[in-house]
Amino acid sequence: MPERPLNKICYVEDDEDIQRIVRMSLERVGKMTVEIVTDPLRAIDAMKAFGPDLVMLDWMMPGMDGPTLFRKMKQLPETSALPVVFITAKATQRDMDELVALGAAGTISKPFSPKDLPDQLRSIWAKLP
Amino acid sequence: MSSLANGIESAERAGEAAARGTAAAVSADIRDRADPALVRADRVEQLYSQLPLGLTATVVIGVIAAIELHEGRLIELVYFWGGLLGLVVVLHGLLYLGYRNDARRRENSAQWLRWLGIGAFAAGAVWGFAAAVFFPSHADERQVFLAFLLAGALSGGIPMYAASWPIFAAYAAAIALPFTYVLATFGNRLFAEIALLIPLFYGASVAIAFRLNGVFLSGYRLRHAYQRQLVELEEARRQIEASGRKLALFFERSPIAVLELDAKGIIQEMNQAGELLFGYAAPELIGQPVTRLVLPKYQPEFEGEWGKLVATRAPLAGLKVRNPRRDGLTVVCEWTVTPLVNREGQLISVIAQGRDITAQLEAERLKKEFTSTLSHELRTPLTSIIGSLQLINAGVLGEVPKDVAELTEVAERNGQRLLDLINDILDIEKIESGKLTLNPQVIRVDELVREAMVLNKGFGDRFKVRFEARGELLAREVSADRKRLLQVMTNLLSNAAKFSPEGEVVEITTEELAECLRVGVHDRGPGIPEAFRARVFGRFNQADSTTSRQKGGTGLGLAICKRLVEMMQGRIGFQDRPGGGTTFWFELPRHA
Repeated sequence: MPERPLNKICYVEDDEDIQRIVRMSLERVGKMTVEIVTDPLRAIDAMKAFGPDLVMLDWMMPGMDGPTLFRKMKQLPETSALPVVFITAKATQRDMDELVALGAAGTISKPFSPKDLPDQLRSIWAKLP
Repeated sequence: MSSLANGIESAERAGEAAARGTAAAVSADIRDRADPALVRADRVEQLYSQLPLGLTATVVIGVIAAIELHEGRLIELVYFWGGLLGLVVVLHGLLYLGYRNDARRRENSAQWLRWLGIGAFAAGAVWGFAAAVFFPSHADERQVFLAFLLAGALSGGIPMYAASWPIFAAYAAAIALPFTYVLATFGNRLFAEIALLIPLFYGASVAIAFRLNGVFLSGYRLRHAYQRQLVELEEARRQIEASGRKLALFFERSPIAVLELDAKGIIQEMNQAGELLFGYAAPELIGQPVTRLVLPKYQPEFEGEWGKLVATRAPLAGLKVRNPRRDGLTVVCEWTVTPLVNREGQLISVIAQGRDITAQLEAERLKKEFTSTLSHELRTPLTSIIGSLQLINAGVLGEVPKDVAELTEVAERNGQRLLDLINDILDIEKIESGKLTLNPQVIRVDELVREAMVLNKGFGDRFKVRFEARGELLAREVSADRKRLLQVMTNLLSNAAKFSPEGEVVEITTEELAECLRVGVHDRGPGIPEAFRARVFGRFNQADSTTSRQKGGTGLGLAICKRLVEMMQGRIGFQDRPGGGTTFWFELPRHA
């Protein structure tokens, strides 16, 4: 379990409505700091600049899908160590299991409950080494 | 009379048994094929057909004898004997007419045979009477005449009664016995010697009659067996023709392509559906190798598979092959391939039946795409809708006016209902298309039940219903998919809560049965109406459609539960609860 509490979250998501809900959930319910990235192609730069504790990735995005972005992050020294949580409506249990096997910290399926989202992230955070 | 008749019958059977002994094993089949009743009817017909000839001969000989004897002594006895002979002839005539006029004479042949036997005995007795009365009282020449007459009457009986040797035996005995007696007691040495010869003569005659009888029997049997065989052959020919026609119809009218190939894979026949499917007329393909219908790049693989098929003669089914059509397009077909092997083990031909599944595969692809779209495109906006409403209803944005809060709660609840429906439809679709895979793991039943109770506490609170364990929950293990089993528990608990009166307690029990563990959920609801019982686990079924509006639910929950439990090798069911309400239960095999 990391020593510091979970605070800075970077969320890569193309749907603006969901962005807003996640931001509200994490900021108001979870009292966290949130950086939202709409364009997955600019996500790596944004992460480098923001320095998040944890990254949340959508699965299906225009330009680059979540798993591809995840693999790219793994190749870069600045982002390879960041814990990644996938949040998706599409993936099957098997896809999720594969992601976890690839090194994802966890998966959350849509629709999620904005009331419970901060707690879900914290429990994933708590299980990290 | 009847005992005599029975005697003839059984003697005849004995004769048949003897004849059977002489018959070779080859004729056993013929005997089996000939109906004994029909053979007997033929023999009786033969006997009666000779009757007019026999009677004529009797009358002629009788008249000559009467004239000859009339010149001698004992004139009254001659009249009496003449009267007896006339009576026997008349009775025989009546017997003959009766037989001829009996429409059912073939069925009644046993009875007619008995009557003829009695008649023959009577006729023999009249000749015997002549021997007994007239022989001792006449001079030498007339004695010679009488002896000649009697010998003629006796030997004439052989052809007459050859179709039934017991009748001949009775007839001849009636003649020979009195004559033998008279000769033996005459007091003349020559006559005594003749008396010794007569039984020998009698025995020889009966033996000849017996042999003739056997010849007749086998002749009739052969005729019947032959007739019967002809009928059977005709019937078999008709059946073969009918099956041939049926087979040809099945082949020609079949909606799937049917090809007959020889052992080398050369097309021998193709039906109309095959013509339509591949765009070739049958004569274009007949005589061609079936590889014409295989894409060039798959041909080496096809050759290998064909070789295996010819070697093993094992039928194949569900073979999906992409086949080229004449117009250059390809169709995907599912083939059933059946090698036909004759009794000697030779491969006669191979029947290939192909069904065009191109459209089906396309439909499956579209369905998958639709399901995926349903899953993603509907859930994404619902995430926003439900998420927004949850944030408002949770008070994250501060207090909202009471009326607004009421409406946002309605909106959230119905959003959730829509989401449940989508999830349930996706689940059912996945289960029914066989795409749902389970992750079985060892689960402790008591832990699972407690977890489900905690998860559904909020739902119970909404209906003011509490979930409580009754008795101690068993710390036993089952092998099941944890997530899906929780889904089953959630369904049962939420159903119980929905239908319980406010303030009631829903009880949960665990029970150990012979080979499985049973979890029961007991409510105090209104119970399940009689008319609905059979459909409880059906799809989109709710006892009362208004409950779906008032209390939520998709009508798919129990259908999913049933399928999930069965996929985990378990059973699900319900029963009335004593004191009112319903118990829903499921059983899962115990983990060994």
